[in-house]
Amino acid sequence: MTTRKTPAKTRKPAAKPKAAAKAKPTPKASAKPKAKAPIRKKARVNAKPEAPVVPVFDEPLASIVMPEPDLAPEPEVAAPFAPGPELAISDFVVDDDTELAVVQSDAELGNLFIAEALDHFGTIEAKLLELDERPEDTSLLNDIFRPFHTVKGNASALGIVSVERVAHKVENLLDLARSGRIQVGAEEVDLVLRGVDVLTLMINDVGHRLAGQPRKATGAEAVSLVQQVELLIAAQLEGGVSAPAPAPEPIEKDMPAVTPAGEDMPFEHDRRGATPSRRRDDMPALGGIATAIKVDTRKLDNIVDVVGELIVVQSLIAQDPALSALVDGRLARNMAQLRRLTADLQRNSMALRMVPIRQAFQKVARVVRDLSRKAGKPIDLVITGEDTELDRKMVEEITDPLMHMARNSVDHGIEPPDVREANGKPARATVSLSAYYQGSHVIIEVKDDGAGLNTQRILESARRKGLIAPDATPAPEDVHRLIFEPGFSTAAKVTEVSGRGVGMDVVRRNIESLRGRVDIRTEQGQGSTFLVRLPLTLAVLDGLLVRVGSERCVLPAAAVRESLRPKPEHVHFVQGQPRMIQVRESVLPLVSLGSVLGMGATALDPTAATVVVVEEGGSRIGLVVEELLHKQEVVVKSLGDSFASVRGVAGGAILGDGRIGLILDPHGIVTMVREGSRRAA
Amino acid sequence: MSTGTAGRFQREELVGKYLTFALGNEEYSVPVLKVREIIKIMDITAVPQVPEYVKGVVNLRGKVIPVVDLRLKFGFPAADYTERTCIIVVEVALSTGARMMGIIVDHVSEVLNVTAEEIEQTPQFGDEIQTDYMKGIAKVRGQVKILLDLDRVLGVDGTIAMPQPSAA
Repeated sequence: MTTRKTPAKTRKPAAKPKAAAKAKPTPKASAKPKAKAPIRKKARVNAKPEAPVVPVFDEPLASIVMPEPDLAPEPEVAAPFAPGPELAISDFVVDDDTELAVVQSDAELGNLFIAEALDHFGTIEAKLLELDERPEDTSLLNDIFRPFHTVKGNASALGIVSVERVAHKVENLLDLARSGRIQVGAEEVDLVLRGVDVLTLMINDVGHRLAGQPRKATGAEAVSLVQQVELLIAAQLEGGVSAPAPAPEPIEKDMPAVTPAGEDMPFEHDRRGATPSRRRDDMPALGGIATAIKVDTRKLDNIVDVVGELIVVQSLIAQDPALSALVDGRLARNMAQLRRLTADLQRNSMALRMVPIRQAFQKVARVVRDLSRKAGKPIDLVITGEDTELDRKMVEEITDPLMHMARNSVDHGIEPPDVREANGKPARATVSLSAYYQGSHVIIEVKDDGAGLNTQRILESARRKGLIAPDATPAPEDVHRLIFEPGFSTAAKVTEVSGRGVGMDVVRRNIESLRGRVDIRTEQGQGSTFLVRLPLTLAVLDGLLVRVGSERCVLPAAAVRESLRPKPEHVHFVQGQPRMIQVRESVLPLVSLGSVLGMGATALDPTAATVVVVEEGGSRIGLVVEELLHKQEVVVKSLGDSFASVRGVAGGAILGDGRIGLILDPHGIVTMVREGSRRAA
Repeated sequence: MSTGTAGRFQREELVGKYLTFALGNEEYSVPVLKVREIIKIMDITAVPQVPEYVKGVVNLRGKVIPVVDLRLKFGFPAADYTERTCIIVVEVALSTGARMMGIIVDHVSEVLNVTAEEIEQTPQFGDEIQTDYMKGIAKVRGQVKILLDLDRVLGVDGTIAMPQPSAA
């Protein structure tokens, strides 16, 4: 029961798609509509929240979760068991008129079903991974069965027969496992996971079809899944446990035989220092999520907007000269109370958007587990800090990059077991995933103990591609950063050459668009660590208010190192312009913020103005501003797509007087300065 | 959709209520259903690297909305803002979805009910004058009002920034 070497699998092309499908809307399917009307009411009850809930994970995730459909049928298994004649692709490919009639008449209902189902699958997947670790825990089986049953029931109520049929088969398997008639091991977990995959595909496909897009060929996948489920059930019921329905207790006694000891489990999802009993203590926390309600994020945004305005008005009133002229103890007390309450309200409204990063980590855990099996590399996955909260949008957006990094680690970072042993490392590799706070940021680490980056090979590859000059000898850290360069990873052979780098530029871009940063630390032979640094939320920013011309701008405080009024002897001129500033030992480039941005290039005398030293991506520059006003926490607003191509500006903030101040983007500014000097050169 | 007014002039579609406003001596109008509100001219935060007609952004009760000076957009000489200068907040449909946007006009005139008989197709002026953001014209009480296609005033994709930053 150790690492299951999955036999070479052939991917069965989704062979006969629609032709067979249209041919027969099966008798079962046509019988369905009768049952529809009464049940539909029930579905509505389930589907209570009125807001059109945006599907939580739509395509991007779905396509990442299942990029390698080589989970497809194992041919040698299919051979002895001839598929029953009743199992035709057409059973799982029902034409739209038959199965989409209900959801087509009520698009909201359809979307709700999809969103709910995908939500349930998220839960199921997480529980399955736990089950993989502790197959003896029957309560997990119940936790898996229940949401599965709900999805099946909803599909049936809505008349989406293809989904219902597949779900029904998998549910059978779960039910048998629940009643102890079949034993749960890695194979069963695998199969149910695959079931979730296939159903996710099918349900997403329902969404596409509702949107008027052509259906995808999911029939073959569905058939092969159902066949496998039937095979497994048959095999287990014949040769396995003979007692028809033993009580749940015996299983727990039986289980150790199936999965003898912790270290033999093919995949260990472990939290350092967390004992199994503590893990069960965590359950209530998970249960707590069930009491949550779904709210359209636009409603949340509206609350945040209005609360922001409330704060502005509150401070306008508090500072109103007419009011401050009144000296009245009670008024002062009430005003102070009002201020506290509004501040509290703002904090709370911001917190509405915060969710634990767990959801993203679960996706990564799944990817690591699948890849580990497929590549035959036994891996321990260590997860810490999955309760770390950050903005919901961030959790959603960071999931893809994290999965990508994890995939990179497993695919290219971790060596095959024999190589590891030859190098004196334990055959089982460790990938760790952790999240923790650091100031107003969250740090997420994806760490492996694999081979590390091969500096020399990256250098060669980069030279060949012309990313660096042939004679350049950059520092190792700079070499490693090259894997994030767009040109680096496009060539097909890159993975072989560099060991890493498929689409890492995309990862970096996605993270930077979240105002975050990604770094890599690596030690040859010891492994690599991706370090992702993200702001807690995209909604609030600690800013430094500066005046540029007639406008006030907000510089993110995190990027500001210091501010100073330089002495004349510290400003150095180039071609008659103040172009450099000496700050203690180092000489930094000096530019006027207004002229970099293109906001009226006023020639400022640095010695009469203020210089703000900004550090970004390791390089520091001095920005000349008219005035440094004060520090302020601001609510970040997007300027909208209309200003998407404005560089150096990250958004807008509503300032104390209700006006908007531009939020500057230090990274963009530093890049612009660098490009500017390159153009001049 | 892309060939200006020719070929897609639908008189019936254009019938309805319009808010008319003045730019210089000319009268323009936008469908009332597109208008969210009318506010007095207020402090506008300038955004760099955009065309001159984009005056910047304002705070509309917690929402940041871009503001365009229609005078400059249509090539009128710039005028000082007065007591009567208004920002009409409109909803425009861009390729990325509906957005609120402010347009600065000299003053707001009235709400007009435009009937089918009063609507005419925008004449072709030759290549001097861009007409693709005019849906048609209405002749009401002997006066010509230009019916604006707001979705096109800002260009098809709604991006108003210039491609490259001004040379620093």
